[in-house]
Amino acid sequence: MNTESKKMATSIYGRVNAPVERCRVNFCTDMEKSVLMSNFERRGWHQVGPDDEWNFYWASTQTCRNLFSVESGYRMNDNQIINHFPNHYELSRKDLLVKNIKRYRKELERDGSPLAEKAEVVLHGGQVVTRYVHLDFIPVTFVLPADYNMFVEEYRKSPQSTWIMKPCGKSQGTGIFLINKLSKLKKWSREAKAPFHPQLSKESYVISRYIDNPLLIGGKKFDLRLYVLVTSFRPLKAYLFQLGFCRFCTVKYDTSVTELDNMYVHLTNVSVQKHGGDYNNIHGGKMSVQNLRLFLEGTRGRAVTEKLFASIQWLIVHSLKAVSSVMANDRHCFECYGYDIIIDNQLKPWLVEVNASPSLTSTTVNDRIMKYKLIDNILTAVLPPDGIPDVRWNKVPNSEALGNFDLLIDEDLMEKEESANATGKGSKNKK
Amino acid sequence: MEDIKDDAIHHTAMKLAEEIKNLSIYKSFYSDVQKLVSSPNVKKEDFKQTLQQAMKEKGLDTKLRNTVFHWVRTQNKNKLDPLTSLSKASAQWEKRIHKSLNSMCSDLETSLAKIRPQTEHEELAEKWNELSTYSLDLSKYRPVYAPKDFLDVLLTLSGYVPFTREDEPKWEFAHLPLQVKNLDQLRKTYVEWANGEPLLGVNPNMPSIVQGFATLEAERIALGERVAALGYAPVIQEYLKKGSPQCLRARLWSQVLGAEVKQQQTNYFNQLKKSVLEVDLMIDKLIFKDVQLTASNDDQYFVFEDLLYQVMLCFSRDSEVLSAVRSLAGAALTVAVKGRHGPDCLTAFPPSGVIPFHGFTMYATPFCYLYDEPVQLYYIFRAFYMRYWHRLHYISTHPQGIVSLCLLYERLLEANEPLLWIHFRNINVNPIRVVFKWLMRAFSGHLPPDQLLLLWDAILGYDCLEILPLLAISILSFRKENIFQVNTLQNVDAVLADLSTISVIPLLQLALMKP
Repeated sequence: MNTESKKMATSIYGRVNAPVERCRVNFCTDMEKSVLMSNFERRGWHQVGPDDEWNFYWASTQTCRNLFSVESGYRMNDNQIINHFPNHYELSRKDLLVKNIKRYRKELERDGSPLAEKAEVVLHGGQVVTRYVHLDFIPVTFVLPADYNMFVEEYRKSPQSTWIMKPCGKSQGTGIFLINKLSKLKKWSREAKAPFHPQLSKESYVISRYIDNPLLIGGKKFDLRLYVLVTSFRPLKAYLFQLGFCRFCTVKYDTSVTELDNMYVHLTNVSVQKHGGDYNNIHGGKMSVQNLRLFLEGTRGRAVTEKLFASIQWLIVHSLKAVSSVMANDRHCFECYGYDIIIDNQLKPWLVEVNASPSLTSTTVNDRIMKYKLIDNILTAVLPPDGIPDVRWNKVPNSEALGNFDLLIDEDLMEKEESANATGKGSKNKK
Repeated sequence: MEDIKDDAIHHTAMKLAEEIKNLSIYKSFYSDVQKLVSSPNVKKEDFKQTLQQAMKEKGLDTKLRNTVFHWVRTQNKNKLDPLTSLSKASAQWEKRIHKSLNSMCSDLETSLAKIRPQTEHEELAEKWNELSTYSLDLSKYRPVYAPKDFLDVLLTLSGYVPFTREDEPKWEFAHLPLQVKNLDQLRKTYVEWANGEPLLGVNPNMPSIVQGFATLEAERIALGERVAALGYAPVIQEYLKKGSPQCLRARLWSQVLGAEVKQQQTNYFNQLKKSVLEVDLMIDKLIFKDVQLTASNDDQYFVFEDLLYQVMLCFSRDSEVLSAVRSLAGAALTVAVKGRHGPDCLTAFPPSGVIPFHGFTMYATPFCYLYDEPVQLYYIFRAFYMRYWHRLHYISTHPQGIVSLCLLYERLLEANEPLLWIHFRNINVNPIRVVFKWLMRAFSGHLPPDQLLLLWDAILGYDCLEILPLLAISILSFRKENIFQVNTLQNVDAVLADLSTISVIPLLQLALMKP
């Protein structure tokens, strides 16, 4: 009843937003995106410069790193919060993410956790490999050049599979290419080390097994962009935004070798697809996650659809747990991550990468509405009920304040519940 | 007395048996029964009893019952339109469409129908599964008409009233001598809704009143699975009144409409495809154009573009559609296929008799969320069209026809939202103008797909379209405060443009429940 009445309430106002109580918050930002600015304005916040007394800083990752660096010597007070964790790259850099997940699995295995259970699985090509049962959510990945020998060993196990090369530090699909022959990789490495490309030799790459059996809808490949808000890593507090979307390629999926270099077939990044001739400005190749769920439930059934969405939540939670021990858990920080996930035709989700500063540029009208809501919901969720940033707050927003966010995990609450259950049982036993 | 009754039943049974012999399923059904008779389950001594039993076990009993159910539903009860003015208007409108098609043809120096050249034939066949890449120059093609044009025609229908008083609006449908229901009568039709029974689409997590189920949704799924397994169409229809869970919808909808796909249907679909490849109809370009203008630009449907081209092209070639709706459609155009000789050079244009208007594709798009095979998609769309959608774009006095629905809307608005009615009169806006496109497209493209599918559940469940004007009223009534604040057609349209936040079922149930 609650969600329904909420829905009714929002529709009564139509597009007009309910007025929010005005309170004195000074904000600072170094990216004047309209979805940000209009949210700050609606809340009646006051813009100040970085050297002034700000309460709320929406900063680029670079600005944030500078602020936290030892040289800057900036110390935040209790009424200041900022939108990044100092070492977010543990999650957002492709090589570090892989490293952290591998370490997390090893640790669980060493502790004898049932989560680290392994089993043999049969791959597409018929080879039998050993994989984690519950934590096999990133494609097999190596860092190059460091893990080159390990990669070659893995490559030889299934020489017919395709691999995807991505530069560790770049985003939006730049520098990505596919490889289906070892010789092509060797050629690349020779060229990269050539004297006229000195900048390339420094850069490290990740190479991952390419998901060559993606789920197709209408014959087209897509990936998911989901937004995850983290307000604390220890204890872990994370929320999933319901209004994620699917990004579609503009052309039919085709695995033939001739199409291997056609990035419009393989990459779903809007920044890539935008340059394709078939890009549509009205929908921008984007479909909502709710409609994806509707389609899957209608055509594949309920049980498999529920399982898929549960595994997606599982994947997000464990990717966060994998970095929670290494993250600098500063009380002043929160962060919204853009998770990129590919679903294969067995309806298994794969984590592709995590962005620490997902694009806030709107490509379509619906995109703008969605991103406006995202920022609005983030602001409400990270602020205490009185609307003034305060790091002493226990960071437990009530369900109203969550808006379109669903609680993924709150270790604080879990612990409380557990102890409450334990004492509850204890008292029963006494009787 | 008993004898007479027996005689009557016997007579009806004989008539039904004759009719069934003419149906396409008869051959396979008959051979199934024959197989059954020769099986050891059927005993010679107790032939009738054991055969009936065996038919029940094999599911042939249900099949026979469903066949009768579907046959009865296809029988057209209304013959000629009682209002001659309407049937005249309808014929004139058809003529206008045909004329405009012809003039478009001569302007573009093309012909209505011609044999497709071999190269084009091959290219089309090759790109059949990705017709979005089939390049056509459509810049000169325009939709033949849009809902707005059709509404203008409908509005002239009441024009026969010679003198209306100065202060009386000249646009009302109320002048037409047609019977429509009032709200109380609608409450009797939608009795389950009016009684406030729990419906899907309000809140799936509502606790179930049936023991053993945590939520309403769980209860509906369990019941729905049993209903689907039983496969008996009238029971499914009853079930759909309170809404279907999305995971069972595809199955239930094909069952209730008898639109299941077997080998025979697949063959027929392939034949339609073949005739698309062979003959180039001018209407194909209009179909491409319509898919592009609607589905391709819609963030809910663009993914399904390629499926829709196939479905809509094949639909235009389906002569079974023409024979099913002939009484309304009047005579289709007959044209000679250029480049074809002999007795079969003449064809109805198009073979389905249906000339698409701007947004016609929207009658098919929502099914993409239920079926991903083109053949299944095709048959459910066709079944919906033949049972319901054709009534929304032909002029007739049928109680489910667009004219009656417009009149129903007008009457409901006047009786139940008098202030809105007065407001519309004061600002001199015809209230039908702001909702007509919703009615004509059965809300497709206007509501988000999940809400639309719930609405269409109700169309199937109650087997009528009166829910459409009722929803239109409910939305207006829901937004009336905002409507009161504007005074132009444009601004009213703006207030009503975004329906993405509308919860269809609660809104409708609220309107139907007694205050």
